[in-house]
Amino acid sequence: MVSSNSVKHVAATIVLVLLLGAATRAFAAEEVVLIVSARSSIGQLDSPLVRRLFLGLTVTQHGSRLRPVLNEADAQIKELFLQNIVSMSDSTYDRYLLRLSLQQGRTQPTVYKSESELIDAVAAEPATVGYAWMRDVAHNPRVRVLRVVWHD
Amino acid sequence: MGCMRHADLFGTPRCRRAAALFALLGFLGAHPALAQHEHSSSEFEVFVAAEGLAGHGQPHPREDDPWVDADVIFGLTHGQFRVFGEYFITSEEHDLERFQMGYEVVPDTMVWLGRFHQPASAWDTEHHHGRYLQTAITRPAIENWEDEEGLIPQHITGALLESRRPLGSESGLQINGGIGAGPAVANGETEPITLVGSNPGKHGLSMTGRLAYLPEYVGNSSAGLLWGHDQLFVRNPLALAKLGSNHATLGIYGAYADWSVDAWRFIGTWYYVDVELDPPTRDESFMTGYLQVERQLPHHLTAFSRIEDSSRMQESRYVALFDDHSSDIDVMLRRQAAGLRWDYARRQALTCELSHAVSLFERATEVRVQWSAAIP
Repeated sequence: MVSSNSVKHVAATIVLVLLLGAATRAFAAEEVVLIVSARSSIGQLDSPLVRRLFLGLTVTQHGSRLRPVLNEADAQIKELFLQNIVSMSDSTYDRYLLRLSLQQGRTQPTVYKSESELIDAVAAEPATVGYAWMRDVAHNPRVRVLRVVWHD
Repeated sequence: MGCMRHADLFGTPRCRRAAALFALLGFLGAHPALAQHEHSSSEFEVFVAAEGLAGHGQPHPREDDPWVDADVIFGLTHGQFRVFGEYFITSEEHDLERFQMGYEVVPDTMVWLGRFHQPASAWDTEHHHGRYLQTAITRPAIENWEDEEGLIPQHITGALLESRRPLGSESGLQINGGIGAGPAVANGETEPITLVGSNPGKHGLSMTGRLAYLPEYVGNSSAGLLWGHDQLFVRNPLALAKLGSNHATLGIYGAYADWSVDAWRFIGTWYYVDVELDPPTRDESFMTGYLQVERQLPHHLTAFSRIEDSSRMQESRYVALFDDHSSDIDVMLRRQAAGLRWDYARRQALTCELSHAVSLFERATEVRVQWSAAIP
């Protein structure tokens, strides 16, 4: 015969495992990834090249000029972009882009305040490169993940 | 009526050309869809500033001290082609300062045709006419524009090469060179070719270049060598009498560094200017330089200080050409300036600057306060 203490132990263990599993799933989802269209032929981009791209300089691959787009759907992803992709503060990055406009008329990257709109823009244009939360693009067949740029 | 009188280089009245330009600006600004097109994108920025000036020794603000100005930047990129312009508007003047049509031969190498800022000025090619990106309110006197009694020609109409090449894994090399028609010498200033006005006088050949080392390919620091060769023809009898020569050939040799280390930034430039004049007038030369130090502080504050100095400028007939003996400070020999900038909001700043200047015939102490911004 099974004692009530044993039942309690088993139930507590199951609850703990479920909680841990949920926490692990949430933990794993905290990743920012570089994305391109599923139709895009863009291959791997190393960190210096990605930085150069988002700092407004010309980056080409397979004869195609890549176009960066900025994700400002939430404050956290903007902060992670500044820290992990361009390695600049918000004001320094803004001034850097303004300088390029002033000096050479270079176009600043398009800013998206909505992640779904950004994903649509990336999916529609094979030369566009963006970044998004992994959880938002992991099961989206229209975009392809190039690599993880930040994980918790 | 004024429109009918100002037929110019392209045979189009000035007002009509200005109207066409503003129509283009409006088109670029009002059509964000253009920016979303598959291979086209456009850029439109306006840098605005308003300034107050007080002091003694210089009772009248100069033309380069308008109480308000706007610097309109517009650009259109289609694949490797780019059209780009800068239109500067003050209460006293408005001019198409730059208008360039370019082709990006390889990534980060542009070949431009049009009117551009000569690349041998490290300050002017960094800040151009927009004041928001310039920490101090004033620019060093040797970097002044032609209509501010600037001694070195700054606007050339011709061809410009701008190239940035990788050097090793992180560094870069910047190679810029320009060739074209430079300014003519009038009384009190040089007059570059203007794209929206008439161009009296003979405009000689200007060649200018810069070779710079970039410790980071996409960083903010650089250091390098500057070179310029300008043939300036005198178009004004009064200037001819002052200079004693029909033309002057400037040979400009310089070095500069614009270096950022953590919260510090150092901007220093030194020029040696050789002036060849027609015999029997003797050739002459002078030297000038400046060092500006900036320090970022907490609360979005930046402190700055600049020292400017020169040698043999007061002995130069060429330099004397730019002084009209008015009560204004025309040609500055020395200046010490210090100030504080507060970036109190996104793309907006307040700056206060105190300076003491010594010119050929005057001394002045000034306090300036400026609001500057970038829109949008």
